[in-house]
Amino acid sequence: MKSRFRVPFLVVAALAAIGPVVGLASSAVASTLTQTPYQTGRVNAGTPNSTNVTRDSAGNVVSYGNSAITYTAPSSALTALGQSLFLENCASCHGTQANGVPANGTSGAFPNLVGLGPATIDFWIESGRMPAADPRAVQANRRVARLNHQQALAVAAWVNSLSPSYPDIPSPNLASANVSDGAALFALNCAACHTIEGDGDALAAGTYAPSLRNIPAFQVVEAIRTGPGNMPRFTGNLSDFQVADIVKYVTTEIQHPQNPGGAGLGGLGPVAEGFVGLLLGVGLLALVGFWVGERQ
Amino acid sequence: MSQTLNTKRAQRNSAGPYGKIGQSLNELDDRLGIAKGGRTFLDKIFPDHWSFMLGEIALYSFVVLLVTGVFLTLYYVPSQDLTTYTGSYLPLYGQKVTEAFASTVNLSFAVRAGLLMRQMHHWSCDIFVGAIVVHMGRVFFTGAFRKPRETNWVIGTTLLILAIVNGFLGYSLPDDLVSGTGIRIAYSIILSIPVVGSYVAFFLFGGNFPGTSIIPRFFILHVLIIPLVILALVGAHMGLLVRQKHTQFPGKGKTENNVVGTPMYPVFMAKTTGFMFVVAGAIALLGAFAQINPIWQFGPYTASRISYAVQPDWYMGFLDGALRIFPAWSFHSFGHTIPLEVTIPAVIFPGILFNLIMAWPAIERKFTKDNAMHNLLDRPSERPKRTAAGVAVAVLCAMLFIASSTDVIANFFHVSLNTVLWAMRILCVVVPILAYPITYKIAREMQGFAGAGKRKTTNIVTRTLEGEYVATPAPVYVDDLTHEHEPDAVPVPTYVVVGESSQDDETISGVRRVPR
Repeated sequence: MKSRFRVPFLVVAALAAIGPVVGLASSAVASTLTQTPYQTGRVNAGTPNSTNVTRDSAGNVVSYGNSAITYTAPSSALTALGQSLFLENCASCHGTQANGVPANGTSGAFPNLVGLGPATIDFWIESGRMPAADPRAVQANRRVARLNHQQALAVAAWVNSLSPSYPDIPSPNLASANVSDGAALFALNCAACHTIEGDGDALAAGTYAPSLRNIPAFQVVEAIRTGPGNMPRFTGNLSDFQVADIVKYVTTEIQHPQNPGGAGLGGLGPVAEGFVGLLLGVGLLALVGFWVGERQ
Repeated sequence: MSQTLNTKRAQRNSAGPYGKIGQSLNELDDRLGIAKGGRTFLDKIFPDHWSFMLGEIALYSFVVLLVTGVFLTLYYVPSQDLTTYTGSYLPLYGQKVTEAFASTVNLSFAVRAGLLMRQMHHWSCDIFVGAIVVHMGRVFFTGAFRKPRETNWVIGTTLLILAIVNGFLGYSLPDDLVSGTGIRIAYSIILSIPVVGSYVAFFLFGGNFPGTSIIPRFFILHVLIIPLVILALVGAHMGLLVRQKHTQFPGKGKTENNVVGTPMYPVFMAKTTGFMFVVAGAIALLGAFAQINPIWQFGPYTASRISYAVQPDWYMGFLDGALRIFPAWSFHSFGHTIPLEVTIPAVIFPGILFNLIMAWPAIERKFTKDNAMHNLLDRPSERPKRTAAGVAVAVLCAMLFIASSTDVIANFFHVSLNTVLWAMRILCVVVPILAYPITYKIAREMQGFAGAGKRKTTNIVTRTLEGEYVATPAPVYVDDLTHEHEPDAVPVPTYVVVGESSQDDETISGVRRVPR
């Protein structure tokens, strides 16, 4: 009874509220568009919601993005190759339909890959984590990739053809990225697991945040946008420009730090410093004392 | 006075046997009376044993700390006001950072020798506290803290606590991401103190964390108040040492009533001055070639940021480890949270530990009923219970220190963090309990083993004409021949024979023996 009276009231109120909001938002969008024409909005970042979308004759999205990151869909010509590669390398666990149900297996034992988007598939294959060395391991380790770049794209193309999704394969353009903003964003978003020096560290129950010292730029974007394993998926809070800033910081300052002050002691921080201070410092000085003093 | 000194020879003769220097010293003595004290000082006898040099490592690294610290204060800005970093380090360019952080980065990159000085300061701090701990171990395990030196033991323990506290304060001053996390932990520890915790924390930080006054307050504590107290206590420590004279290891010609060793001038002065330069040189080498605390990589601290794999400097490690592995016991009652998970490992545990250390001379006297004056040191094996207790506490601290890097261990050895955590929880209880009987047993065994700790002699293997091999022990070292036989178990002496003269008066060159 009550709700019948309330609904029209709520609708009116909502319309009244939406009016100015839409006005503000449209002006805001207009202003951002004038500044950076192809800025991907923060909501659903990494998906083709910007104006810079290229489509093929069939209307499928080929690429999208902006001056910071361009996302390209894997070529549909690779789909057939992708299916055979998938059956060869992946189907024993993920099933012939990539739905995570292997033959004679129970559903839910392995991840369902349908609808994850090409970047996810590409990241796991190109970082060497898939095909898995040990499918029962708590966390797949990074190693030399079994499939090459073209083959990874082919598998991604086939899996994506089952249920097209995003993000596509990113290629960051770091020329105008700001390394200082990247450092600040890294400290805020990444350091809590990967450590501020990017060495990675152990997390709970056998999982760990991997080292970032040797990750190619496009894989850093893939990881940020898709959230592999325990990592959160950063879409809403990081724009493509911010992601490019982080990638620039990771690929320059973390992978090639300008690092004066002598031997870095493995980047292990005060643990290594303590050992050096006690063993090399106090220990060697005690030996000198042993040399200077009487031993009887 | 009326005599005219008109020849050089006459002038030289009138100056006395020590020349111009002697003459001016005489003049000084006439006015200030320095001869008596000076002679005592220059004639002070230092026993030569190498383990007496350990405390000097601490003393000289403290000197390096003072010198490098003064340099750092010239460039460091103790302020938490925000500024825009515009220095040469690109990844920070344009970021809003505190003056403290910006000035520390600038002093590392823009000031000539600034980074070297900062790294030397930090390394000498690590070595300072380390040398204090090693020196303390020497004093403890040889029983040098016994009557009449209990006061100096307490002063020394206070110095250790002050060194740790001041090390933590200095570590916090750059206001970087890692040290800021340390201040956050310290704030929480203070909060966990029962009843007064929140008041003390608000008083110390001038409000809630982080506030803007903690860096200036830490600064004044770090560069003025605590160093002054440390300096005063170092003076008292050394003054008592001179007043009470050194202890010495038992040995040929060494009794409770004399001191055998080299005099301050010239032998010991040369040794110790050389040693000072070795300590300073070693610290300079470390500062030049081994990176420590690269704060530019850490970035500035803001309360919203955190880095994983953050450990404190090594001397705070045992506290951090205790915090890490302690079970999450906290409960709510009467409208308050009782955070036992913080209070027990970070407030009660260090309280008990340092009180136990301070009170140890009294505790030991209670058990041994030994009220005599002791100037001769024990071998650690002669006092198995004390040695075992000391080893147990040291091993506990070492285990907690290792526990402060659970994540590094787990990552390095590819073990689950949870496994490492539980392993450390068990080890921290089991290892000290096992260490006591094992150490006790080893010490007892060493008492019964003649020649334990002595130099081994060689066996000379000869072949006879028939082809038989014969091993004959070579003659023992001359020192060992005259050495008294090894006692089975040394009874605790209840009195000291006063006026006992030393048996043999042969002197080793350079060594002087004086009555106490």
